[in-house]
Amino acid sequence: MKTRSVALARPAQTGSRPLYLAGLTAAAVVAAIALPAFGDAYLIDVGTLVLVYVMLGLGLNIVVGFAGLLDLGYAAFFAIGAYTTAYFMVNTHMSFWLTLPIAACFTGVSGVIIGAPTLRMRSDYLAIVTLGFGEIVRIAATNFTFTGGPEGIYGIPHAALGALVIRTPRALYFLGMAFALVVLVGGYNLSTSRLGRAWLAIREDESAAQATGINTVYFKLLAYVLGAVFAGAAGSFFAVKLTAINPSSFTFIQSVTILMAIILGGRGSLPGVILGAAVIVVLPEVLRAFDQVRMLAFGIGLIAMMLLRPQGLWPSRYGRIEAREVAESEAEAAAGVAAGAAVVDSAAPGASS
Amino acid sequence: MEIALQQLVNGLTVGAFYALIALGYTMVYGIIRLINFAHGDIYAVGAFFGLSTYGLLALLHVDNTILTTLLALIVSMGCTGLLGMLLFRVAYRPLLHARLSILISAIGASLTLEYGLLLIYSPSFLVYPHLFGRNGPSFGGISISWLQVLIFVSSIVLMAGLYTMVHRTKTGMAMRALAINQDAARLMGINVNRVIGLTFFMGSALASFAGVLTGLYYSQISFLMGFLIGLKAFTAAVLGGIGNIPGAVLGGFLLGIMESLAAGYYSSRWKDVVAFGILIVILVVRPRGLLGERVVERM
Amino acid sequence: MRNRLAIGLLLVFLVSVMVPGAGAQTGTIKIGVPVPLSGGNAKMGTDIVQAATMAADEQNAKGGVLGRKLEIVSFDDACDAQQAVTAAHKLVDAGVVAVAGGYCSSAAIPASAVYHDSGVAFVADASSNPKLTDQGFENVFRVIGRDDQQGPYAASFMTKNLHAKKVAIIHDNTLYAKGLATATQDALKKMMGVQVVFFDAITPGEKDFSAALTKVKSLNPDVTYFTGYYPEGGLVCKQFKDLGVSGKLMAGDANNDPTYIKECGAASTGVYVTSTPLPQDQATAKSFITRYTARWKQDPGPYSALEYDSVGVVINAMQRAKSADRAAIIKSLHQTDAFSGATGKITFDQKGDRKQVLYITYMIKGDKFVPTGM
Repeated sequence: MKTRSVALARPAQTGSRPLYLAGLTAAAVVAAIALPAFGDAYLIDVGTLVLVYVMLGLGLNIVVGFAGLLDLGYAAFFAIGAYTTAYFMVNTHMSFWLTLPIAACFTGVSGVIIGAPTLRMRSDYLAIVTLGFGEIVRIAATNFTFTGGPEGIYGIPHAALGALVIRTPRALYFLGMAFALVVLVGGYNLSTSRLGRAWLAIREDESAAQATGINTVYFKLLAYVLGAVFAGAAGSFFAVKLTAINPSSFTFIQSVTILMAIILGGRGSLPGVILGAAVIVVLPEVLRAFDQVRMLAFGIGLIAMMLLRPQGLWPSRYGRIEAREVAESEAEAAAGVAAGAAVVDSAAPGASS
Repeated sequence: MEIALQQLVNGLTVGAFYALIALGYTMVYGIIRLINFAHGDIYAVGAFFGLSTYGLLALLHVDNTILTTLLALIVSMGCTGLLGMLLFRVAYRPLLHARLSILISAIGASLTLEYGLLLIYSPSFLVYPHLFGRNGPSFGGISISWLQVLIFVSSIVLMAGLYTMVHRTKTGMAMRALAINQDAARLMGINVNRVIGLTFFMGSALASFAGVLTGLYYSQISFLMGFLIGLKAFTAAVLGGIGNIPGAVLGGFLLGIMESLAAGYYSSRWKDVVAFGILIVILVVRPRGLLGERVVERM
Repeated sequence: MRNRLAIGLLLVFLVSVMVPGAGAQTGTIKIGVPVPLSGGNAKMGTDIVQAATMAADEQNAKGGVLGRKLEIVSFDDACDAQQAVTAAHKLVDAGVVAVAGGYCSSAAIPASAVYHDSGVAFVADASSNPKLTDQGFENVFRVIGRDDQQGPYAASFMTKNLHAKKVAIIHDNTLYAKGLATATQDALKKMMGVQVVFFDAITPGEKDFSAALTKVKSLNPDVTYFTGYYPEGGLVCKQFKDLGVSGKLMAGDANNDPTYIKECGAASTGVYVTSTPLPQDQATAKSFITRYTARWKQDPGPYSALEYDSVGVVINAMQRAKSADRAAIIKSLHQTDAFSGATGKITFDQKGDRKQVLYITYMIKGDKFVPTGM
């Protein structure tokens, strides 16, 4: 058993929100408000894309950041939400708002389907299996006719609020902002709730969590379902924004990009996820040359982040725990001496970790 | 009947590639319980190193096919092996006890290798020299080439060699000891880092062997070639029982055959779904695979 | 310390994003060219931009259009729907009067919605998927043929020239390939005496297609038609021959690339490839090729001449309308009447498709694609 003392109940030092972070938050809020007023169509479009990744990031954050389940096929939920909205809007002329609960339903159920088999798996197997599911969903979308095959679904009508049709970049931005705020508030409430603490307990030491009476199966499934629903919402919005969706938007690369956002920003940290989403969208736009090496930079970045700053750029209060974990590991490796922490994860793949 | 046999041959060929790559996965996992996400990309690097060697030798006007091929294999295996060791040293060793972080680092390593290859070599694909013709032993209407026979035989031979090494030599004993309990092994005086490094070297060398053969057999290599086959080879390793050397090879052949039959008798579009489906089913129903032991190693 | 770096970076991003892009009025007439400039298709994109630049420069040497110089503005769409939409917004904001370009249909279709909403003409040089113009947008035009024109042509070649009774069709589940495959299958279904015995997809990115090809072999087709791209095409060709599948092998126009021959080797001789004629095989394109090769010191790509004509058609529209206004250009494009381009005469039909598209069949002999004249 790991013997570090993890202070779960005691929050990190108070007053650890220095002034600069407050300044940063203020700057971000100002930018978010100023954008639709002063930006041109292109900038607003970029901003809307940031909002989509914020939603996705916040959703994946629940699965990876809060519950500690490394989901590599998250784009599947994004796809299900997008295709659901697209299909119903195009084929049954349903209103956008009506497709939302349906999308939530489908993505929630798929969260259970994808989550259930992985509940007792070690983290590495979980990662590969979720990757497999992600690919299965994408291949299915490419093969089935009702999803439009490789062409996908195009000609998706715009969302409408009564008589107001949401089609201009500015209007889409506001819609996206509304979605993102709902997701953000939801995410914040979750993180400070009993649910959030249960997830944290499971993430840090599942056996100990079970010992305190937490039903790990239930909470893990809940993490999947909620994460899936958030992604589904992002997908629905994405469908009416692009008006044409196809399987190439839902590849493993997409899943990795979302993961990158939360790793960069800090898993488990709400402001971190927002920062991360902003960076991964804006960086390729700002540095066009960067786009050529974007994925290479992601790869090196991921390794570097893990080695240097695993808690992310804007870590959560509990990010210190991750940092400590990595620091210990590095120290052990350097010293070549066991630090009394045997590899806890058992060899038997079936045992839970 | 003939068609079924041909599909069998197809499956065994693909399976042999899976087997060679699966060996690397299984060895690394057996020792440090890590799924080396970047292993498939090591295979790709091997293929590219092989091509570079061929190119270099062509510049030096070395013409003998056997010689160039041997050199290409040796150089590629050596260099890729070293790259594997470097990968371990830089991206994995510092993170061995940080479970989530090491997985993410592995994904990062995979991306780095893939897109590094893109930048250094080509965003499109490259063509290997056509060195080996298509003649081979003939059995009626079934087409087999000597190259295919070579691939199949070499996967068995390498597996046998690896197995012997692991069970008959001191180094192998050190590896087995590490697989059982790292701390105890350390206490027995085994240089843990050196042994793990060696494991990475061997796994990577095997993968690069498969890479060069891929280039020779299919004539085409590209920077993303490792991604899908890496997943499939991992599935093969799990199917056979991860940590088990003969299991990796058995799993490879089985997966290859199952895929061939699925594509041949059902539909080619769903082939990958079959492979992933097998992975998921195995991990849920019988995670130790076919030959894996029921190991309970919690102290 | 690191935290400060983080803020600094963030502020830099925020500021740089807020600064409006350089779109000041300089008096030039801007034509947008969205193409993949990164990733696997980068070479195609570069060819297209080069052709467009050449067209603009030649016109500028003649005094430009309406007394103003032309300027080509190109952005990377990375063959991705999201980025194509972003690039579209960028182009519209940059003040382009029309857009001539595009490569991947999967990127062009979402982007066309943006152009439609902004009232900017979009002349596609390389997107052959029928859906692009089937959407009914009046601002969308296309200089290349549609996949559902190449399909019937291929079907006719197979039956009339190759006397096929059993046809196997292999695609790769991408937008373009499946479209072409379906169009061919539909055309064959309407014909008597011929049967499609196999219709399935291989997975791009994989290498081993022996299982699918063995199945094809068991069905003894007279002609096998592969409609995917040349990386997989070369592999299919090689494995097809190695397995000894009966009948002839045919491929769609995305296989019209020398690397196909390189990959398949000597076994590629005798393979047929349907395609719009390459510039080298069109009388009208001779002068274009000479000028392109002189300017860029390399052969034109398969879409260079089409892009050259796309820009040409826009210039022609502006000249006839005597205006560089976006709406006027769209109207004028519809009135294009037998514009003489490097790829032949161009007139658009109601949907914006090109009338009278020519397809020919090449046969591979040695290391070249030779027109069969059929």
